[in-house]
Amino acid sequence: MNGHGAKLALVGVEKRYGDITALHATDLEVKPGEFFSLIGPSGSGKTTLLGTIAGLTPPSAGRIEVDGEDIARLPPYRRNVGMVFQNYALFPHMSVFDNVAFPLRARKIASAEIAARVERMLKTVRLPDVAARRPTQLSGGQQQRIALARAAVYDPRILLMDEPLGALDKNLREEMQFEIKAFHRQIASTVLYVTHDQDEATTMSDRIAIMNEGRVVACGAPRELYEHPVNAFTASFLGSANLFAIAPDERIVPGPAHVRLASGAMLNAVVATQAQTTRGSHVACVRPEAIRIAPSGTMAEGDEWNAMEGRVADVVYTAGTVRYQVDVGDGTAVTTRQPAIRRTPLFERAQPVTLAWPASATLVISRD
Amino acid sequence: MRSEFAVEARYRVASVVATGFAVLILVYLALPLFVIVPLSFSDQSYLSFPPTGWSTKWFTRIAENPVWLQAAINSLIIGVPVAFFSMVLGTLAALAVTRGGLARAGLVSVLVVAPMMLPHVILAIGLYPLLLKFGVLGTHVGAIIGHTIIGVPLVFITVNAALAGYSDSLELAAMTLGADPWRTFRTVTFPMVRVGIIVGGILAFASSFDELMLALFLTGAGTRTLPRLMWEQLNDYLTPTIAAVATLVFAFTLVLLAAATALQSRARRGLGPRRAAADDRGAS
Repeated sequence: MNGHGAKLALVGVEKRYGDITALHATDLEVKPGEFFSLIGPSGSGKTTLLGTIAGLTPPSAGRIEVDGEDIARLPPYRRNVGMVFQNYALFPHMSVFDNVAFPLRARKIASAEIAARVERMLKTVRLPDVAARRPTQLSGGQQQRIALARAAVYDPRILLMDEPLGALDKNLREEMQFEIKAFHRQIASTVLYVTHDQDEATTMSDRIAIMNEGRVVACGAPRELYEHPVNAFTASFLGSANLFAIAPDERIVPGPAHVRLASGAMLNAVVATQAQTTRGSHVACVRPEAIRIAPSGTMAEGDEWNAMEGRVADVVYTAGTVRYQVDVGDGTAVTTRQPAIRRTPLFERAQPVTLAWPASATLVISRD
Repeated sequence: MRSEFAVEARYRVASVVATGFAVLILVYLALPLFVIVPLSFSDQSYLSFPPTGWSTKWFTRIAENPVWLQAAINSLIIGVPVAFFSMVLGTLAALAVTRGGLARAGLVSVLVVAPMMLPHVILAIGLYPLLLKFGVLGTHVGAIIGHTIIGVPLVFITVNAALAGYSDSLELAAMTLGADPWRTFRTVTFPMVRVGIIVGGILAFASSFDELMLALFLTGAGTRTLPRLMWEQLNDYLTPTIAAVATLVFAFTLVLLAAATALQSRARRGLGPRRAAADDRGAS
């Protein structure tokens, strides 16, 4: 294993099918050895983007640079890019050994070296004893590990993964997330990972790009993306968010602000620096875990705090946390998430409550 | 994937009425065989059913008459190349339609399969002047050309079914792993569809071997096939020799179809879990 990944840079990469643009001109930079995820709803272009890099969907325009070399016009078999498919795409008519040896044989490597490298790779994915079996004799998780081994055995410059855990059940998926991370540390390749599962992306990635309607709409480290969403879509796609519409005529100036909502209520908030201050509508974004809940009348608004009175509309308990939906009047529901501590009574439906959250957790961002 | 409910909710094929009906249909389909096979062992010199006595003299009669042997050889000389060309062309067509990303794949499919739907007499009438013009009418080549037209759809269908049986991500994966298109075909596509190709080839051979209408139009005295000779003999002499030939052709076809079926079911098993014996080969 060569122990370093390549730098990947997309410059104006675009994919059109006739009049339909599946991927708008996209610029993206992935650092050597980085674990980078693409997330977004289905049809957002993330798989198309992956396909342009693998060479399976040739881009209509743009450059794809691996360590500075443009590979956009190369056929897939000359790109030296590894790819792990969602359905594993293991060859059913070959043994596990032949599957992993496949890319090495395509590169005309001597058979003694092939045997050694395959053996080493099967050890890396902790399946040293299955070489003679057929892929269909392995469990889903094992097949996934063989797919990883096959895509990495030839030290590809970039390793692409297209929802590799999509077919596994939840517990196995979480286990495999750690496996893939450990694998990534071991082979130190640059990984571009596509998923629609935001938890998976935040757990595994150094950086994440959020895609929507054929564009990268936000890019950054998981915590940065979560705490500084650029617009309403990214705020609600990564995690959940309470979005309060701001009055359309409100003046938006970056920094601490006292803003009026469309409903007429006032909020103490912070206007994000990247919020478009000239035009467009805005929302105030508050994460559910930032909002405290207490019996009605026990918390009051201050300069640094917001408070709203309401009635509990729904209580959902999920292992260890409880989520309340609170109706704060005129049909607006605010969601708050609290740790549910053992034997502590929960609020009940229709109970009047006060919600309170700090101004610093109230971020004014553009709607679009 | 099969639902877990399937065991409970499967159609009750085991019911008495359904079984009886199924047996009746099978008898109806096989009825001509129940007539032709006994007839070929008849001791009478004309076709009458049921036979009053038994003999194998009609089979001896075939062996004695070189005309039957010549026709059988003609059938093979035509059938084997038909199978070969059908396999090549049918496989290429199936690959183009299923994996080629053609804009008009549906239309191409219909055109490839059309000769199967078309009455053979129409094909024959169309081919006749064409082959005459190229000077291959009445030759083996002419018959091979004609029969390949009806053989290609059979291979096309079986190979398409094989291609539909697995995801094209196998080929895409092979390419990302560094295999050029030829290597991808050789190491992935061909092994996956090999059985489909062979089964299609057997069907193409069998259909050429049994085909009469094109043979009537396109073969000559020196190149006539078994079905054509049977047809001619049937017009002139109505002896159980015909039944004996039919029985032989039937037995031969049965062997071919059995081979095709065995291949297909073995292929289905082969891609599933393998027995322990296969595991002992080791990683070599």
